[in-house]
Amino acid sequence: MDSEDDMHDANDAESVDDDFYSGETAMDSDDGDAADYEFIDNDSDDSNDLVSHRSQQNYTILNETDIQLRQEDDITKIASILSISNVAAAILLRHYNWSVSKVNDEWFADEEKVRRVVGLLEEPRPLPNAKELTCGICFEVYPNDSMRSAACGHPFCVTCWQGYISTSINDGPGCLTLRCPDPSCGAAVGKDMVVSLASHDDREKYRRYFLRSFVEDNRKVIVLSFNFLIIDLRFFFISPLIQNGVLLLVVDYAVDFIVGGGTFDVTCRCSYSFCWNCTEEAHRPVDCDTVSKWIMKNSAESENMNWILANSKPCPKCKRPIEKNQGCMHITCTPPCKFEFCWLCLGAWSDHGERTGGFYACNRYEAAKQEGVYDDTEKRREMAKNSLERYTHYYERWATNQSSRQKALADLQQMQSVHLEKLSDKQCQPESQLKFITEAWLQIVECRRVLKWTYAYGYYLPEHEHAKRQFFEYLQGEAESGLERLHQCAEKELQGYLNVEGPSKDFNEFRMKLAGLTSVTRNYFENLVRALENGLSDVDAHGGTSRTGGSRSLGAGSSKGRTSRSKGTASRSSGSRNIDDSGHWSCEYCTFANAKSATVCQMCQQRR
Amino acid sequence: MTGSSASSRKVLSKIATNRLQKELVEWQVNPPSGFLHKVTDNLQRWVIEVYGAQGTIYAGEKYQLQVDFPEHYPMEAPQVIFLHPAPLHPHIYSNGHICLDILYDSWSPAMTVSSICISILSMLSSSTVKERPEDNDRYVKNCRNGRSPKETRWWFHDDKV
Repeated sequence: MDSEDDMHDANDAESVDDDFYSGETAMDSDDGDAADYEFIDNDSDDSNDLVSHRSQQNYTILNETDIQLRQEDDITKIASILSISNVAAAILLRHYNWSVSKVNDEWFADEEKVRRVVGLLEEPRPLPNAKELTCGICFEVYPNDSMRSAACGHPFCVTCWQGYISTSINDGPGCLTLRCPDPSCGAAVGKDMVVSLASHDDREKYRRYFLRSFVEDNRKVIVLSFNFLIIDLRFFFISPLIQNGVLLLVVDYAVDFIVGGGTFDVTCRCSYSFCWNCTEEAHRPVDCDTVSKWIMKNSAESENMNWILANSKPCPKCKRPIEKNQGCMHITCTPPCKFEFCWLCLGAWSDHGERTGGFYACNRYEAAKQEGVYDDTEKRREMAKNSLERYTHYYERWATNQSSRQKALADLQQMQSVHLEKLSDKQCQPESQLKFITEAWLQIVECRRVLKWTYAYGYYLPEHEHAKRQFFEYLQGEAESGLERLHQCAEKELQGYLNVEGPSKDFNEFRMKLAGLTSVTRNYFENLVRALENGLSDVDAHGGTSRTGGSRSLGAGSSKGRTSRSKGTASRSSGSRNIDDSGHWSCEYCTFANAKSATVCQMCQQRR
Repeated sequence: MTGSSASSRKVLSKIATNRLQKELVEWQVNPPSGFLHKVTDNLQRWVIEVYGAQGTIYAGEKYQLQVDFPEHYPMEAPQVIFLHPAPLHPHIYSNGHICLDILYDSWSPAMTVSSICISILSMLSSSTVKERPEDNDRYVKNCRNGRSPKETRWWFHDDKV
């Protein structure tokens, strides 16, 4: 177990992406018991099993081959049930949005009608029996054997068929329902005919349309908002293909989601994660409602916000923003406040007069400005009391984490495409042994995402719940500093190993450190997410921690170094009075339930 | 108003030229009744006279259709409009644009100028009122600067007329 988990050597490529929450490879779809992810980990034996606290396989990531196999399965199924060709079965399935049962129902209800609607003839008609035939498009006469027709027997020459098919394919997915060119005939033109007559490029396009149709017509499709397309074009979710000046968006993976499982978070193999429910980017620990509220607020406020920040000052007494569009410096706030103050120094007007250099000049302001009292931070601090400023406070941090996350994604790309190879070279390590670095970066990206949403969470956390707020801010602060540590190690310290001549002796220690930091940070964030998701209920429960799972994983995280030292500590401290039934000890300061192996509280870093 | 779209046309492909020559020959041998094509040396633009059919509200009237062929005719549909003055018809706009599905989405390369003409005459003949489409003014305003009807997203709501 240990050795396998160590550096994820034994794991295949996919599991790296899935590690965040699921831990098992995405293909083991387990539809049944995914809901109770919070309570499934009471077996404290395999404490090194870092990642499987949540069984979330309520979705399957399908790549192109998987999609194709499913599609072929369905086609074969229909072909054998209805005793028709695969080509005909595909035409039927496409018409009925790839629903096998719908095809069955309709077909057996009224086969004749179905055939007419989709253009499937019962008896294929051959080409007219003549030596020479006239093409119905170019009106040229050709020998019989250079003519083609769909099942209806209407003859057209190969060149015209090619033009017809190519025009249709380049017009879009409508080519999947191609019919005989004869206006009076509705006979379907099947995949076999298209494939045999289309050019190589067109064939590839047709194949993609065919595959996409299976995904898009069949299931709930995630339509990412335009913004996301833009953002993710730069990364990996979608690979744009520009053909004939038309941007084709090719989705590389599809997600088969089984509704009713645990959470809605889906992490694609391209490592993009999103929420199946609201299709926004993944947003745990906050719920979909909060996300939509927050996004609405952002779009509504950002314009106003900029204006207010640029053009107004808060009343020094009631903090309402005031715009001064004309007049003198003597401001009287609107009722009920009615506070009279100086626009320049924001001091009470009653202090003004001859002493300040006359009513219409404020030398207090001039003097103070010279002393630097009114520098930016000062103003900021003062405005932070303002309710609008409160929003800005959260918004700025939310947005900063968002851009940090984008930066980290770009760094990760850079790491994977350039640095890993170089590092492998310098340190004489196979690239497979360097996965811990990719993992560290994936963790950084994920942490930024979580952190970002904690600011939306914080914004909506009721002001009057002081204890919760305090605890929340504490957790958030710790999360930030933990992430900084990881980031520092993955970025700065790594540089040291990149810019050397030969292999470094302490590279293995670096590996240990970074892998350890990654897992500690992962666990911390998982616990943070869980704590926020259940509304920081621990604060009310006062020590009655229900977070045994979380604490176990933290313990696991701290022992990830796998040194005999930490095991020794664990056995020595086992007699403490604070230890509960499951072998945890509650921190005296923050009440967090720590694993018995930990000597320092994982939440607040206080010694036991 | 069709001047600008005509000047930006590409010359006909070889396939298109061959096919149009055949159509022209066929037209001369066997012209659709009610139509007169004044043959010019411009193969790419046909101007066809349409005579309102006897027994319809357009009887005795004469209109002109202008048919412009694209480079990849017949894979692409020709552009067909009425020259001024366009007949008063619920599917014909005052700028000459015609709302008829076979000219756009339902075009098939197996159709011909002749079959288009017959469809248009049948559309004219089945009308019982002489009036413009409801959205005529808005549509025509949008089409200033010589926009082709092929750029319009047509909505074929009525197959009776």
